[in-house]
Amino acid sequence: MEAVLKNVASAVELLAVAAYSDAMSQWDEKTLSRAFHWARYCEHVYTRFHTNSAGRRVVEKQLQHTNARLRDAFADYREVSFMDLPRCEHLLLLALLSNPHLPISTMKILFGKKDVASRYYDYKEVTGLCSHLIQCKSACKVLCPFSGLSAVDADAEVQGEMLMKRLDALLSQGSDPQQAEHFLHSVLLLSEEAAHHSCLVITAALLTASDSGTQTSSQSFLLNWLQKEHGMLQHMGSTLPSAVLKDLARAHGKFRDAYFSALKKWASEMEYSLNDGEWLPEGTAPSLSFQEMVEHFSDLFDACPSLRRNAEDELLALKILDGDFDARGLSVWGDILSELKK
Amino acid sequence: MTELQQPLSQLQETSEPLLDAQKMQFWLDKAVAWDQAGGAHAQKDILRHLRGLTDFLKQVLAQISNIGSTAESMKELPFLGQIVGRLCWNPYVTVGDTNRGLLLQCLWGLYSENPSNAVERKANQWIRKVLCRLATEEENPAAEILMKSTGVPPKEYHLRVLKKMVKQHQENIGKTCCPKKSTDPSCRCSCDVIQTTSEAFVPLIDCPEASPVICSLLQHPGTSFTDALSEDFLDALNSTDSNLALDETALVSVWYHSLPRLEEAVLDLLESVISTGSAPQNLEQQVLKTQLPKACAHHCSMFLVVNDIFRSILRQAEGNLVVQSVIQTFTRCFLKELEELEPQAKTYICTFTMNNNLLSAGKSQTSTSLKAFFPQSPPSLLVPLLTLPSEMPQEAWKNHLEWLTASLQRLTEQEEEEEDSQSSRSHHNGFETWFLLVQCSHWVQVAGELLVTSEAEPCSPLLWLLTFYYHPTNRWHCRAAHLEEAKKAWSHLHALSSSSVVSPTADHLQPLITLLSPKPQPPSPAPLLTLSLTVYSAVFCRLPHSQSVEFFHTVVHAAGLHHEAACVLRSLQHRLNEGSCSSSDTVHVRITKLQSTVTHMQAGGNSHTALNSRAQEDTPAVTKLSVKKQPLAHVRPLAEFPHNINASHSAEAE
Repeated sequence: MEAVLKNVASAVELLAVAAYSDAMSQWDEKTLSRAFHWARYCEHVYTRFHTNSAGRRVVEKQLQHTNARLRDAFADYREVSFMDLPRCEHLLLLALLSNPHLPISTMKILFGKKDVASRYYDYKEVTGLCSHLIQCKSACKVLCPFSGLSAVDADAEVQGEMLMKRLDALLSQGSDPQQAEHFLHSVLLLSEEAAHHSCLVITAALLTASDSGTQTSSQSFLLNWLQKEHGMLQHMGSTLPSAVLKDLARAHGKFRDAYFSALKKWASEMEYSLNDGEWLPEGTAPSLSFQEMVEHFSDLFDACPSLRRNAEDELLALKILDGDFDARGLSVWGDILSELKK
Repeated sequence: MTELQQPLSQLQETSEPLLDAQKMQFWLDKAVAWDQAGGAHAQKDILRHLRGLTDFLKQVLAQISNIGSTAESMKELPFLGQIVGRLCWNPYVTVGDTNRGLLLQCLWGLYSENPSNAVERKANQWIRKVLCRLATEEENPAAEILMKSTGVPPKEYHLRVLKKMVKQHQENIGKTCCPKKSTDPSCRCSCDVIQTTSEAFVPLIDCPEASPVICSLLQHPGTSFTDALSEDFLDALNSTDSNLALDETALVSVWYHSLPRLEEAVLDLLESVISTGSAPQNLEQQVLKTQLPKACAHHCSMFLVVNDIFRSILRQAEGNLVVQSVIQTFTRCFLKELEELEPQAKTYICTFTMNNNLLSAGKSQTSTSLKAFFPQSPPSLLVPLLTLPSEMPQEAWKNHLEWLTASLQRLTEQEEEEEDSQSSRSHHNGFETWFLLVQCSHWVQVAGELLVTSEAEPCSPLLWLLTFYYHPTNRWHCRAAHLEEAKKAWSHLHALSSSSVVSPTADHLQPLITLLSPKPQPPSPAPLLTLSLTVYSAVFCRLPHSQSVEFFHTVVHAAGLHHEAACVLRSLQHRLNEGSCSSSDTVHVRITKLQSTVTHMQAGGNSHTALNSRAQEDTPAVTKLSVKKQPLAHVRPLAEFPHNINASHSAEAE
């Protein structure tokens, strides 16, 4: 372990030199290649210790110590955390490209074309690193207008996988569930603008992994979190295509129940407008028309026939509470039921 | 050497006149418009101009390298920074290897190692900033936060997204077509999806991660499925400089749609065989590995084009044994593939071999499908020549060869008579007759073997066949003279192989060595005919091994034709090892001994004799062909062939 810690410390020092020191201008191809080798070493260290609390703590302590020393040496020093270790290669790239002393020859290697015939295996890995990255990013952008081939976009699907993998890791460590909740908050509750994208990521996380037919503990955790996050659930219900909502309801009982509860809540907040002769959303309810609301109920019952009878009984009970009138505009439940029976 | 380190001189050579302000303004307007506009129209405009952009960037690069400094470049090429800067952020431009490489080269060209003024220092800073942002900037903040929180590096993230997108497109193509798409003609694919997907993947044609979709798009050559491919997609396939990572079916489809790609595959095969000097066993593997024989068996039009390429190469490299050997091997492999595909083609050949009435068989039983593949070959000779010696009893070989020779003689005489009356068609027919013999040169080898083993008369038709093979044209009316020389050589060899002299001296061999030496005036038969006769004699004569090896060594060494001798030996050995063709162990031992003699001679250097160096200069026979990778103008696009094979070939003849 001692050797591992020493290597991690050296690798972090190397990152600092790559970012802040003019000594980097002396690096030749082999040095460059070795630097990337050490960056990949850090990635292995992460893989080995990220689910091992004790090991992780020791590495974190070492990182704190090295960070403190480097802070003294470099004024603008940016600390390296344990979660940075799996991205060390990228951090090294960032460090190199932001260092004004980076020789143009090194840039040409990084932005060159992949040379499969290169003599040095590692050097081969380094050559064209940036070029390939640019190509991949550009290719994604070029294909982006043609998305829509599946219910969830490719980027949301990948992000969903990343989310679940990290959640799995956090929950398997037996750590405080608050940590996992904090993680979900930090990546999913970003802004109003990003809310729709977060809906897609959650959908992907819930649908992709459920292919095997078994609901994982991480999915269960995510569903519990979603039940508490009414805003997110509301957003999902009002923006996702009905086919996706049906898939989610079919795959997860918890989602089905939460979604049904949300629909009832939104319906209860509707007011009948005498002027328009129509039920209209009020308060915090999403701006769904009455017809759309009926379609949501209908889709949900289609996806989960087992829910239909109990749910209809429940809606009927609510109608009775409203006085059990059959005239339109007196009870939203009565009007929904009559629409559903058409 | 990376794309960024290519010598600029290469680009300068191809560059056009200097760029003017108008041209710069045009590309600036384009770069700005592409930057600002979105949607399908802008995408189409970008795709339409990608190739023009490549030429423009090459010109920019050439001009930058001619100008001494960045400051001057900026002055001479107005808006250059703006154009390059904007293009760097256009994904349609940066996704392709060629344009991305050129853009980066432009940036390197504008970078000053030793900046001497503020403009150059500013340019350097700007270039560093652009490159850093290009490689590391994330446009999607949500994705960036998730990457950081989950420890996923951007390289992995973007690659995963791209692969997922590619998979979705692939699945969409799969859904579009029913499972029986390739076999059931009644099953119609949705052309729209194919059209849209092929359009979307035009800029990604050389992106390795996109190859699964490109392969899927090209899965079924010649069906309505691939007919729906967009023109831009097919153009991009033709013009990309990169190697495409395609599976077998897709590769065949690329050949079907792209003549330059097919041409490239054939020339690559020839070049690799010439550079490696493969043994016939390896040659066969090499030929099969290219998938060309299989593709040609499936697509007659492809076979016709490949043969057109061979014809063109043969005309450039008359007497090149390696090229002839490739053509023979290719034809044999092609026939095997065709037999698997169309067993009836083989049935005709087998029927022919069972039938003793050779003349009538040759005339009446030529398969229709074979005729389509060999439209220019004399029909009467087609099946008799395509039949492999191993498919016929050995006792029938002599009669068969005599019949073949008589037919060839008759055809050539007829053609020569017509030639005298200035008909260009007769010359064309003469070439086609000889080309078919080159494709089926196994019979030439059998003729060489029989010449020795049956102790044929010097005026034997077999000798005429060999002479015709090595001297197909009756240029300067020299055939009679060539035949005389061949008879002389054969008489010497015959005398040597039946001689009781234990060790023939140089005097004994001198007449033969003289025949092998190239002569300046016509008639000047290439030494290859005499050499082949020498090889056949050494292999099949009744002399003890040691004597045969000794005279072979003396003659070949003195003539300096080591490579050529090795080539003839290898071809012969391959034919003898092939199929049911059984020859005695003695012959195999003999060939092995002769081969090791040649290897020894080659290892010992070949600079001992004056004749040797002369022979190397004068004989382009084995190694001295450089295959020019230039479009062969006479070869027409494949799509023309399937509908009107004969018409297109008549045009070719004219």
